Amino acid sequence: MAATVPNDVFFAPIPELNARLKAKEFSVEDLVRAFSLRLQQLGPTYNALALSLHQAALKQAKEVDKEFKRERYRGPLQGIPYGVKDLLSYAKLPTTWGAKPYAAQVFDYNAAVIDKIAALGGVLTGKLSMVELAGGGGYRFPSASLTGPGLNPWDKTRWSGGSSSGSAAAVAAGLVPYAIGSETSGSIVTPASFCGVTALRPTYGLVSRYGAMALSWTLDKLGPFAHTAEECGIILQAIAGKDSRDPGSAGKSFYYTPQYARPVKDLKVGYAPSDFAEWVEPATRPAFEAAIAVLKASGIQLVETKLPDFPYGPALATILNGEMGSIFEPLIASGKVDELADPPQIAGLKASLELPAKDYLKAMRMRRLIQEEIAKLFGTVDVLLAPGRAGIAPKIDQPLDRAAAGPAPKDPGFRSIIPMGNLAGLPALVLPCGFAENMPIALQLVGVPYSENTLLAIGREFQSHTDWHKRHPA
Amino acid sequence: MTTITRRKLATVLASTAVAAAQQASPPPATDLVQAARDRMKANAAALSKPDIPMATEPAFQFKA
Repeated sequence: MAATVPNDVFFAPIPELNARLKAKEFSVEDLVRAFSLRLQQLGPTYNALALSLHQAALKQAKEVDKEFKRERYRGPLQGIPYGVKDLLSYAKLPTTWGAKPYAAQVFDYNAAVIDKIAALGGVLTGKLSMVELAGGGGYRFPSASLTGPGLNPWDKTRWSGGSSSGSAAAVAAGLVPYAIGSETSGSIVTPASFCGVTALRPTYGLVSRYGAMALSWTLDKLGPFAHTAEECGIILQAIAGKDSRDPGSAGKSFYYTPQYARPVKDLKVGYAPSDFAEWVEPATRPAFEAAIAVLKASGIQLVETKLPDFPYGPALATILNGEMGSIFEPLIASGKVDELADPPQIAGLKASLELPAKDYLKAMRMRRLIQEEIAKLFGTVDVLLAPGRAGIAPKIDQPLDRAAAGPAPKDPGFRSIIPMGNLAGLPALVLPCGFAENMPIALQLVGVPYSENTLLAIGREFQSHTDWHKRHPA
Repeated sequence: MTTITRRKLATVLASTAVAAAQQASPPPATDLVQAARDRMKANAAALSKPDIPMATEPAFQFKA
């Protein structure tokens, strides 16, 4: 490992790294080399690395060093290494989508987010592992990936979560300062919660998906994984914006403006007590209770709330099946789908071709009603609060559809917040909030469309009173 | 008294091993596809429960 940068850089926040580059404490090339070698060496130990871009990164780093020398500053991401989920195309090198049938796939263009970050001087050091096809079809085991099960940096016998497995694990292990992942239904929230990193699922349409694998045109979103809420705001500002190449683009930009955020004391946060008292695993309850106490002490008004009664999970699954079946019909028809690693996922993809159009349309009509009712709900609260996941990361050999022990609580709480939030295109912020059995747990905050600055304000406030986001695996 | 020859023992062990392997093998692919179909049907049934007003259009051209 290069000794030209101190070891404290690997978990240092982005603004600090950028300031140290400006202060010429070390060069961009030194920083990129150190992170890139670390990603090359440790990434495979977590099954987190899909493709190292070491040489290309060093070449770009030298160019960015020239800009620093001329004092041409492009913002806080300049000179900072990062990684992307391997569903984003990088010109002329493999983009596998985490799946064997696409192991040799090469595009001749970059994904929009990669070009946007490059224009600001960010340096891509690697493609990061993922669940095959971002989990489309429904996988049963963490091993559903071309690179093997994502291993959690806090305990390698446990899963890093999916489908953005490598993005979360690489940030948690200090292999990259930040990473880009994607979510269709839970693929940012889940791995961020299991790996103890901060992550943001942006409003649908805010970040261009040009160059990203499509799993569901009306559900897919790209978002950042980092250590702090502030970093997520900085990254989102860099990657958000109109893109005519993405039909789902909202045509909106995002400016991270913490100075204009509403005081958190003015915010009403809706939550369901049963989520924290009954639904979460017993070992996690003390940590969740302590986290809620921190929010209350900040002056945030917590009010009991219920989600409107809809079959959120079935609606999302039906929309996903309809769109995914159309997108991957050539893969399924060719028989190459059988090369995937997870048999239930293969079966789910095959069955998706048989989804009746009336079912897809019914789900899309119900989605309209859901949007309307959720908009009414946000007339009474500013933000919704729920556990990121109900428990800690499962063991890698456990089936993911394993039923929880004991009878389910009667009150549904916000159990459907992930499909609800994705159906309605809502942003979500994941905040590490403690540990149970030496594994991280997290909160998720969900807001109205384009309320990212509000979510980030709460996140900053929470992280100013806690240090969970500063902890990292040994 | 029953005498177990080495040949009999080998036959018993081999058949036990085959049975164990059969038990451990995953369900056939056709069963998995049928299970996926059943889940889609269950989803459709769940979607049929709430009333959707006739005027409600699908959320095409979806904007959050």
